[in-house]
Amino acid sequence: MSLAEFDELRWDHSCDRLDVPSNYLKRKARKTPSGLEELRKSMVSATIYVGNLSFYTSEEQLYELFNKCGTIERIIMGLDRFKFTPCGFCFIIYQTPQEALAALKYLSKTKLDDREITIDLDPGFEEGRQFGRGKNGGQVSDELRFEYDASRGGFYVPLENRIGTVNNFGARRIREPNKGHYHHVHHHHHHHHHQHHQQHQQHQQQHQTAAVAVAVPAKVNPMEVEEELDSYIPGQ
Amino acid sequence: MILSKDYEEEDGYRDFRPRYPKRQRLPPVVQLCKDMLPDIRTIGESVKAFEEDIKFLSEAIINEFGNDEYFNSALLSTFNALILEQPHKQPAIALLTMVVNSGNEVAGKTIVNQFYEKLQKWISASADDDFEVTSNETGPWNKVKLTLRFLSLLSPIISVEEIIGVYRKLFELAVELNKASGEKRNPLSEAIYTNTLLDIPYLFFFNRESEELKLKVQDLMLYVESNYFVKKVDLSLTREYNKNLPYAPVQWVQVVLTNVKNCLANDMKELKNLFPDYQHMLGSLPAELQFNDPLVLPELEKLLPFSGLDKGLGSVDSMWKTPRTAFQVYLPNVVGAFSTVVPVTSYAGMLFDDIIVDIVESLEFNRHEVARQVVTLDLYFKPGIFTEPGLSVAQLLAQHEETPELSTYKIEDLAIENILGLIFKLPTVTQSFAYFYTLLVEICQNSPKAIAPVFGRAFRLFYNNLDNMDHELKMRYLDWFSIQMSNFNFSWKWNEWEQDSIAFSKSFYNPRITFAKNLIRKELRLTSNRPDVEDSLTVEFKQYLDASYITKNQLTAYYQSLFEGFEFDPEIIKDNDLLFKNEAFPFHDKVQLILDYFHKQQLEKNVSELESLLEDIRTTCSAQIPDFDRFTVTLLIQALVYSGNRSLSHANKYISDAKNDLVMILGKIALSDVVKEQWIIEAVIRYWNCNSQNGFLIVDSFKHSELVTAKSILAFSFSDLNGQNLGLVEATSIESTFRTLTQLALQQTSDISVFEFVFERLVTIANETISQLGMPDEEIVAPLVDNESMLDDDELSRLDLMWKYESTMGFIKSILRKYSDEYSILLDKFKSDVDQSVSHEPTRAQLNQWFQEICEL
Repeated sequence: MSLAEFDELRWDHSCDRLDVPSNYLKRKARKTPSGLEELRKSMVSATIYVGNLSFYTSEEQLYELFNKCGTIERIIMGLDRFKFTPCGFCFIIYQTPQEALAALKYLSKTKLDDREITIDLDPGFEEGRQFGRGKNGGQVSDELRFEYDASRGGFYVPLENRIGTVNNFGARRIREPNKGHYHHVHHHHHHHHHQHHQQHQQHQQQHQTAAVAVAVPAKVNPMEVEEELDSYIPGQ
Repeated sequence: MILSKDYEEEDGYRDFRPRYPKRQRLPPVVQLCKDMLPDIRTIGESVKAFEEDIKFLSEAIINEFGNDEYFNSALLSTFNALILEQPHKQPAIALLTMVVNSGNEVAGKTIVNQFYEKLQKWISASADDDFEVTSNETGPWNKVKLTLRFLSLLSPIISVEEIIGVYRKLFELAVELNKASGEKRNPLSEAIYTNTLLDIPYLFFFNRESEELKLKVQDLMLYVESNYFVKKVDLSLTREYNKNLPYAPVQWVQVVLTNVKNCLANDMKELKNLFPDYQHMLGSLPAELQFNDPLVLPELEKLLPFSGLDKGLGSVDSMWKTPRTAFQVYLPNVVGAFSTVVPVTSYAGMLFDDIIVDIVESLEFNRHEVARQVVTLDLYFKPGIFTEPGLSVAQLLAQHEETPELSTYKIEDLAIENILGLIFKLPTVTQSFAYFYTLLVEICQNSPKAIAPVFGRAFRLFYNNLDNMDHELKMRYLDWFSIQMSNFNFSWKWNEWEQDSIAFSKSFYNPRITFAKNLIRKELRLTSNRPDVEDSLTVEFKQYLDASYITKNQLTAYYQSLFEGFEFDPEIIKDNDLLFKNEAFPFHDKVQLILDYFHKQQLEKNVSELESLLEDIRTTCSAQIPDFDRFTVTLLIQALVYSGNRSLSHANKYISDAKNDLVMILGKIALSDVVKEQWIIEAVIRYWNCNSQNGFLIVDSFKHSELVTAKSILAFSFSDLNGQNLGLVEATSIESTFRTLTQLALQQTSDISVFEFVFERLVTIANETISQLGMPDEEIVAPLVDNESMLDDDELSRLDLMWKYESTMGFIKSILRKYSDEYSILLDKFKSDVDQSVSHEPTRAQLNQWFQEICEL
């Protein structure tokens, strides 16, 4: 199904906007007759869905972070529908749609409890949606998860299923999203593309890792980097 | 586990299915745009490929332009977007346009026409009440600046007469606006004057030899210099520091003319060192283009109502509302005998600041892109202006030692300084704080080793100036610091600040101690894993991990004051627990029944049940409870808060469910609402003594249920407890104060009396502090105290009073500025009141100065 303005290619900005429905939402919308209407609603509902939360993240913590984008009307914690305990997602309702879009633009992929949170638009909260829809009460995504995740209840898949069935579950792992390798088909400037791209990457790298010769290990804590000598403290 | 066939249908949003994108069949022209336009968007990001890119892209455009309306309009939109959102790429787009023009004059002419029309469109929009503003809108006048800049770049193909004519008209408008507002500063006039001057050097970007152009520009500059008079306005209300300014503030409008003149002087030496030379890529230049219609400016009368730039016409335009000042973080001669940022007193410095702000503001919808662009700006200017990217200070020092002629300017410092300038912008910020904070986090994540130390230097500058920093900015600093920490495992070199803690930990008002306390508490609020924060602290700072709002002794005294002839063991007071249900209290079983009552379904409740429970307690325990009304309110409120202690939502639910019962019971207490409301608020805040943020947010929901008023909350916040006024220093209370006032200000019929109350309360606190200090005449300025010196208790408490005075005055400054619309209504009253009530001359003078300035905001 076509999603009208959500499918349109737009050239009015010099890069993509982050305050648009995710691919997940768009794919879902394509499958339902009311999909387009729901998407439109989600742009003005003032409600966002927040995912990939730790089970231990509290409403107060969410408040502390999300109030930086606007006035929060309500936070609805996602709960395990059997245990009534947080199961890693929530809805946040702001006072205005602009505030919800701001949260989507500014806070998705930031860290809360050391986890990169995901944010998506939402057509609006309805009673019942606060409950996990997994077979065991939590979120379906956890039931598909193979890796150990301490802050989301440890292993989801029982031990016996993890042994020997790696191939089955391996297919269900998170894949890195495709990273912008667009294909030039136009003959006019086809041939120089690869070179261009490589050089660009090189430059970026040079800029980003800068004078650092060794690649930054995943867990490096930059605030501990001993680059600045204490004797250079300003004003002393 | 067996997966359901269509597991995606049940999916909880996260989707783990591998993706196989369907092959899209697009019309060829759309496909062409999809292939080509992204290359234009990223033009120049690879310096090596730049020349080839221009060649291939221009060939493609020359061939395709005019064949399909879709292509033409997509191309022009892309150009426009780049010109407005990524102004550093303007020269590349201009070059592309001119190369295209040499092969397809229709295309060239169309592009020039389109941007000339845009220029007219933005000018017309500037006096249009219906102009639609979104968060990425920088404002019509900012777009005029950027569009004129682009047209200036095209000077080799546009008639000199024509383009200079546009400049002339804009300068004339600036002069007229300036005259029209007499002695007063005219924000729009300053914006047009500065913006237009900043564009002038771009006329020479591709056109360095034309004598005609040089002469005409000379004339233009002479006109501006002799007709535009820069007004001197110095507002202390919008100063980032209250005293001991770490740098002399520079207003753009004061230095822009000199900057541009210097840039053009000496055969444009500065300009040639700044702009790269693409002359060889220009090719042949056909005849000069003329603009289609003369430019029409709005009539002065029509424009004047908009010239305060306070109508919210866009982020960058609104930055001119008060004098646009350069914010400085990386001061010269701090890390070495040089500067790491290009000074704003040079054309290059001001231009870089201007471009960075434009990128950050206009691309707010994609912070990932902003994070990439602002630290790679150097690619678009002559090599050698900046150091090698990511050079550490140690390396920079070594390099400077060895080769002093090399540049010491760091692009990272420049970009971050400008973003910090937007965070610390007074009186208002242009975007949500979240944007700037996460943008900085993103820049740091992209290259942690290069950026973290740059942040570190900013943290230190702010920390070292906490004694002087504006009250509101301290809160922003706290916010930014905590967000940054929570994204990077909370680690900070706390040992750097230990000496301050050792010297001043007993102080209540010392700015550094309150900052450290507030920071640690904020960090704790941002995590559910307390050890993350605990482990990051050195032993000295672990004392601040106790987030109690008031001390254990004060809390015990509060509960004990409800009783007479009955004492309980203070140890039974537990965090987030209802004290009264402890067995130590003779009425504890009744308390349990009250809790049961609050848990009942709405339909099963009858307030008489609650009343009879209270009556039971009264009959059995009246001897031990001297003020039963106060006890009743405290007990009910705490029982309610306890019932909803699982989360804010629970608390909200219990409060709204119990509202009618409370109204009924409170109504029967024959005392003023003011007294009862103080009891309610105190009960909540004392219950949540371990987490005052929760306490204040729950008080908000009592306010929402109309059980307490804004004024009561503020009265509570600024009440003194044994000389300690938490409302002045404690972050959750300060946030609550600003939240309460802002909410009021946003209401259509805001209650001015609340604003009056806060001001008067603060003035009273200042008066009391002055008399305690016994300094009836002299100006009160807390001295800078060496943290190595040993202070005795008397010295420390005297210093503490000075810090208290400064905190109070700082708070007054912040609210007068932040709520200037509300306070301007009260000014006449305040002026006469202050003359009466404030006997301390320096304080009175300060307040009067601020009153004067409110009108300028």
